[in-house]
Amino acid sequence: MHLHDPSSTPPPVRRTVPLAWFVVGVIVAAGVSVAGIATSYALRPGSPSGPLSITDDLGRHDTVPADPARVVVLGPSIMDSMYRLGLRSHVVGVDCYAPSLGGLSSDYSADQVALWNLSSSMCVETGPTFDVEQLLALGPQLVLAATIVSVAAVEQITQTYHIPVVMLQPATLTGVILNDQLLGEIFEVPGASSSLVSSLQSALSRAASLQDNLTANGTPFPTVLVTYSADGNGYWTFGPGTFGQSLIELASGASISANATLPYPELSGEQVLASNPEYLVYGTGFGINESTYAGGPFWSQLITTQGGHAVGMDSNYFTEPDPTMILVGLPQLIAVLHPGSSA
Amino acid sequence: MGATAEVPTGTARGLGRRPWVLGLLLALLGVGVFFSPILGTVSVSPDTVLRILLHQVSGGALFSDPCAGASVPASGCSGLIEIVWDARLSEVMLAVVVGAGLGISGGTLQGVFRNPLADPFLLGISSGGTLGAAVVVVFRIGVSEQNLLLPLFAFVGAIATGAVILVAARSRFGSVETLLLTGVALSSFLSAVLSLLLLYSPTGSLQVDFWLLGNLGSLDWTQDGIAFGVVLVAGTLLATYGRELNLLQLGPDVAQSLGVDSRKVRVRLLLLASVTTAAAVAFTGIIGFVGLVSPHVVRRIAGNDYRLVLPGAALVGGGFLLTARDLSLVAFPGTLLPIGIFTSFAGAPFFAYLLFRRRGASTMGTP
Amino acid sequence: MTGPTGSALRLRGVTVRFGERTALQDVNLEVPRGQFVALTGPNGSGKTTLLRAALGFLTPDAGSVELFGSEVLRLSVAERARRVAWVPQEENPREDAPLLDYVLYGRYAHLGWLQGETARDREAAVRALRAVGLEERAGDGILSVSGGEKQRAILARALVQEAPLVLLDEPTSHLDIAHQLDLLSRVRELSGERGVTIVAALHDLNLAARFSDRIVVLSRGRRVADGVPADVLSEELLARVWGVVADLRRDPRTGAPYLLPHHLVRPAPSGPGTFLGKGPVHVVGGGGSGAPYLRALSEAGYRVTAGALHLLDSDLETAESLGALTAVEVPFAPIGDEVRERLRTLLEAATAIVVAPFPVGPSNLPNLEEVRRLLGRVPILLVDRPTGEEWDFAGGRARALLAELRRGGARPVAGAAEMLEALAAEPAASASQ
Repeated sequence: MHLHDPSSTPPPVRRTVPLAWFVVGVIVAAGVSVAGIATSYALRPGSPSGPLSITDDLGRHDTVPADPARVVVLGPSIMDSMYRLGLRSHVVGVDCYAPSLGGLSSDYSADQVALWNLSSSMCVETGPTFDVEQLLALGPQLVLAATIVSVAAVEQITQTYHIPVVMLQPATLTGVILNDQLLGEIFEVPGASSSLVSSLQSALSRAASLQDNLTANGTPFPTVLVTYSADGNGYWTFGPGTFGQSLIELASGASISANATLPYPELSGEQVLASNPEYLVYGTGFGINESTYAGGPFWSQLITTQGGHAVGMDSNYFTEPDPTMILVGLPQLIAVLHPGSSA
Repeated sequence: MGATAEVPTGTARGLGRRPWVLGLLLALLGVGVFFSPILGTVSVSPDTVLRILLHQVSGGALFSDPCAGASVPASGCSGLIEIVWDARLSEVMLAVVVGAGLGISGGTLQGVFRNPLADPFLLGISSGGTLGAAVVVVFRIGVSEQNLLLPLFAFVGAIATGAVILVAARSRFGSVETLLLTGVALSSFLSAVLSLLLLYSPTGSLQVDFWLLGNLGSLDWTQDGIAFGVVLVAGTLLATYGRELNLLQLGPDVAQSLGVDSRKVRVRLLLLASVTTAAAVAFTGIIGFVGLVSPHVVRRIAGNDYRLVLPGAALVGGGFLLTARDLSLVAFPGTLLPIGIFTSFAGAPFFAYLLFRRRGASTMGTP
Repeated sequence: MTGPTGSALRLRGVTVRFGERTALQDVNLEVPRGQFVALTGPNGSGKTTLLRAALGFLTPDAGSVELFGSEVLRLSVAERARRVAWVPQEENPREDAPLLDYVLYGRYAHLGWLQGETARDREAAVRALRAVGLEERAGDGILSVSGGEKQRAILARALVQEAPLVLLDEPTSHLDIAHQLDLLSRVRELSGERGVTIVAALHDLNLAARFSDRIVVLSRGRRVADGVPADVLSEELLARVWGVVADLRRDPRTGAPYLLPHHLVRPAPSGPGTFLGKGPVHVVGGGGSGAPYLRALSEAGYRVTAGALHLLDSDLETAESLGALTAVEVPFAPIGDEVRERLRTLLEAATAIVVAPFPVGPSNLPNLEEVRRLLGRVPILLVDRPTGEEWDFAGGRARALLAELRRGGARPVAGAAEMLEALAAEPAASASQ
């Protein structure tokens, strides 16, 4: 048998991928990636055609067509504004959850569906995943989006399919007003927009003057727990930086979770009992009703303590930053917290 | 001498090489890619789909009016073309590319760790990638470029996690056990950081969940191309290590005595697998089961030789993900489910089937 | 150095430590080409570590390892595979590869990148299988063959590497007696007919003696014996290194030495070196007189030998219970020439001699005569005899011998304690071997 002769020099062929090839391979991969990104970036469409230049709530700059006839609205808060501005006929598509998992009714309550005359043929699936095909089938000229599932996906729509997307995600109630003004500009309905804006402003100023009165009289604000869900461990409520909290403040209430560390904290039964709020407001809608809260800790005790001051309100009033929040929700909350005051 | 060069017939189930299976898989994949765009959430008739495909592929030479006779949506024929070509076909191609990347990466990790339950995310890559994506979303980094930044950060996060593990692999404590433990520890740590980050941003949480579930849609051809390029290069390099992986199955010491520098080869394989996985998931989010199941399927049909298992796992992975996409559209018409959910649905019973069939005959040996 | 006359394997001053534990201490070893070396030693003596160092699996803390003139760690992993092949003690493949494929794995180091196995490689594999007698089983799976066949297949794989040096680590430990013989004869053939250098770690000393050219004994990381089997294997070695009392015989057919083990040496109660105590110290006694000194020495960590004693003597029982090597005569007979030879061997191996106060008669007088021969060469301690009691039954010759011993430098000690002190003062006696 031939034995390897160790005195011979090892053959020059390498046995495994030499490091040089390796590095080359990685560089090629990186190069391909960089080239791809650069090309994609360079080929981004100059803005889609349209005379209006918009900066939306996320700081994005869009060019949108004037008064587009086909609009897809993703988010009930925007739908609210569109309806109140008389623009319902422009809306051809709305956000839905997957049809077999709730469809239209997971984002829109029955009242909203009836009021705004929505149907499942208008659905664009935005959850659990974003369905581009449905959007494309509707052929919109503009997409208005609230809290949408993926900003990245939205960005992709703009760039690949040249459909302008305006993100309307106001951070404050003032933002709501500004967005309505913006919509008035886009759809060229200055009259409708200014009348909506003035009713919003007067609702806000009424609330402000009530607060001034209370402060002048030295009356303390009533303490309140506003909860939007409950489970065996406690009650979910609104913390600082949320619309719910803003609404409570505007309504001259003192939320017991005003100093929480999280935006949507869960307070335990003990915490609520200890804070002993004068008012208890529980949010309803989308399957949550009073029986949901009956399952929360110390619920019956809490109700008894309130002596009948536990009130149910539509959750949307606290979560959706839209005109309804200001025009309906705010006065309703004021009425709850300050019975007998004229609001 | 009288010695024949053929392997005599015997009782071994053995390596059972059947290289022709790869050709068959490639052909099946091609067919799948061609016909899958028929399925989608918006209903388009099959012949219209095929006409559109041929129209686009031929640059407009064939079927000058592909939508003739078809019911056209509000956006017209160009909208239909966008749906079939830009949305569906690119989704189909991405499914194949990502599935292939996950498949070959899973096969590599199963070989390096000599563990049939290894998958591409064993080294904590999924946590790193998710954290990268979460950072972009929570801190709202570059909104207008987010469709590019999200995959980029996810890729970097995934690679960085893989790199930390590899540094551990190069040290003198680089045994297989150390790698696994480092991966688990890193994964837990990153998940904890992620949870903390998301506590303060519920909308961010929503978007990250979306990413975690895996999503094939809403990409353009350029991004498909990037994913394809990286997976192709890294995957090809991986496939050249088939023989070394065969020898590594004998144990790192035996392999070393036979001439394989176990430590170096292991590091390179893990690096390549990390790059492949990271590229695959950067664009689509975490898609489970593909990397775990594909190598097993290949071993059953094409034998245990890693020179076949690796490319075969790529082909099977691509086919698996594509089939998962198609099946989800058939089972839930009109709905687009996150692909990660569907691969788990499809993968779990399939894996159980593989395990039960293995009883008595070991394709990967007794533990 | 690298020419055909150079050594296959050379270790120079190799020290390997694992944390606190020293596995190899300053080991030097040179194995010329074509030799069959059996590497042996108790568990933990460093055999596997030495083989691993030769394979380049570890970096020594000191010293160097050379394969055919090149330092192993400077060679590429593939080049190492071409020079040295390894048959490990135990291999657990996960896949049921056919034997032919299993053996073909050994060709890796000879193939280029992405180069497939050629017909030439397959032929080499078939030849290797034939050489180990497994040619008909080439298609059978590695998991379905018996342990012996698996080990032979691994040997075939090592052959196909075409390496001129083959290292085997306990290749026979999982084999039955027939397969042990079979495997080692084939290995012997390799070395004899094909000029392959073999270094095999073997537990079985008799097999090592029968098949190898040279035996290297490791103990606690050091090389303690090295030579042809006939020279290296001895009862003394077995007792010293393994702590086993055995008889040495000669195989009538092969002429090779073989050892019949009997029982363990009682380990010294103090000190780490349980098998290698201090000494040995030889105690001359009888009739119960030697027992206290034998025990005292053993307690203090000395190895002891005793004799010449007659069967049924209580001192003999004591000595044997302590595991001492002894010179034994039949009861009541005078100490014969053979036993005297034996006694002489024991005395010459001793580092000190203690003469217990035993009654001396004509039958055991030769004990003192033999002790006298060692006067001046080794420390001799005479235990004081009680005055007044008669102990010389040999017509005064015993007293005369004792007086001569005393004049010649033998030291009187009063009892066991003084004996131990005196021994502790003697560097030769108390040094560990």
